[in-house]
Amino acid sequence: MNMIQVIAIAFFIYLGSIGSIVGNTIGWYALGRPLVAAFIVGLIMGDVQTAMIIGIPLQIMYMGNVTPGGAVAWDLSYATYIGTAGALVFGKNMDATQLIGLAVVFAGIGGLVGQIMWNVSYALNLPLNRIADKYARQGDTRKMYIPNVVYGQLIGFACRFIPAVILLSSMTAVSSQGDFASMIPGWVTTMLGTFGGMMAALGMGIILSFLLKKKWQICIFLLGFVMVTYLSLNTMAVAVIATLLAVVYYVFQMGQKEEEKA
Amino acid sequence: MSKKLSKKTLNKAFWNWFFWNGCSQQAESMLGMGFGQSMAPVIEELYDTKEEKAEALERHITLFNTEAQVGSVCNGIVCGMEEANANGQCTPEVISSVKVALIGPTSAIGDSLWVATIIPILLTICLSIAQGASASLSWTGALLYLVVYPVLTCLLSRRLFYFGYKSGLEGMSKFMTTGKMDILTNSMNFLGLLVVGALSASFVACSIPFQIVKDVFDVETGETLADQVIFNADTMLDGIFPKLIPLLLVLGVYYLYAKKKWSPMKLMGVILVLAAVLTAIGYLTGYYV
Repeated sequence: MNMIQVIAIAFFIYLGSIGSIVGNTIGWYALGRPLVAAFIVGLIMGDVQTAMIIGIPLQIMYMGNVTPGGAVAWDLSYATYIGTAGALVFGKNMDATQLIGLAVVFAGIGGLVGQIMWNVSYALNLPLNRIADKYARQGDTRKMYIPNVVYGQLIGFACRFIPAVILLSSMTAVSSQGDFASMIPGWVTTMLGTFGGMMAALGMGIILSFLLKKKWQICIFLLGFVMVTYLSLNTMAVAVIATLLAVVYYVFQMGQKEEEKA
Repeated sequence: MSKKLSKKTLNKAFWNWFFWNGCSQQAESMLGMGFGQSMAPVIEELYDTKEEKAEALERHITLFNTEAQVGSVCNGIVCGMEEANANGQCTPEVISSVKVALIGPTSAIGDSLWVATIIPILLTICLSIAQGASASLSWTGALLYLVVYPVLTCLLSRRLFYFGYKSGLEGMSKFMTTGKMDILTNSMNFLGLLVVGALSASFVACSIPFQIVKDVFDVETGETLADQVIFNADTMLDGIFPKLIPLLLVLGVYYLYAKKKWSPMKLMGVILVLAAVLTAIGYLTGYYV
């Protein structure tokens, strides 16, 4: 990675973090998602195709990471951007499974930094309340944006951008030391490949906990599962069928409700 | 003459909230400062004296938290109430208590319906597109999500804001009791579960690296065939139920996360250990060379 690429990726890490200047809807919920992150890293590094190979399994793995206020909150963008960039930088000449394994490891490292920086910014934001109090007491409506956007963003930007630049440049420096694909022992890449494949179960399991409201609904999940294993449909085909069935189900329920009323 | 908020001020209040609700999130007032910034143009328009403005601002930078995208309905409701207050039809105490009362239900709807249902479903659809498309076009799925999610959310969030302003607290509670919400959630859940099932089958990979390889003596031809696979754990398990192990893994994670309240970090560690054990078995039995 050259310096421009490092800065560009670090900037997107900031934009995709919780409460960045573009708002959580565009930032954390869109730019921060692994699928989108891989696309952007791919564009910056000039290899969208490989980046997407990494982005799809990363997205599945981190599917459950959705609430910025919850107990497991941390800057997902750190994990996703660093994971993809790390795999692209270190994974030259590796096959897809090994690339994914490598991405998982780098995402883990990035995620750890993200978790620390989120807690730091969360603490540093506290004194801003006093500034807001002061302007509020003066009744100065035109200054209310200062503690929230100006100072809030200075802290947010410093906490995300600077560590990201340091992390990404040290990764670049290390990667120039040699060809890592040949240096890593075979059993490590085998294990990383196995780990990457199994980690997809984490995202899916957490999503299931959001979607399963009643016990019998496990059958819907299993139906989707066997549509792939027995009927050999791809996920796109299942998504189309699922959408059509959901519309039918919606209309059916509405009809039942009308009957109840009548 | 009664005071009325202009469209321009309301828009300002909405956009302030939409973009900057989480800018200064912290443990003391959560999204309080963001809420205060959203209310600032409203207060500026409604109140004349410095003292009135100060009083109004102070009640809006206190603790406030919600799922901000769906929570814009709170901002709408509070805008309506501030307007009523400026016309002497409401009191600051009522505004503050309504605000606190709104935290619970709007967070619950926002988190469960929008964040935990719509996002995963939209992502799974975009993932299917990314995976189904040829390798050189798989970025279309990512781009689709990047465009569709923010636009969809912005439209919804804006609509909810104006809904809150126009119909107030009564309008919201009326809507919530119609039951339409449940039907929509049920249908969304159905769609999500089916796609998550398909994604699990396509992406979760886990095989048992164990097989027995032996030289076999063929009776008919009288030749010895070298290195024949007599037993392969995956082939056997797939014969019973294809992808049984990945399925059990997903259900296992679900059980430990939802029922046993394990943290994602702990689960990740367990998966890493399992992967290491499986790799070790593979090498010990000569599956990997």
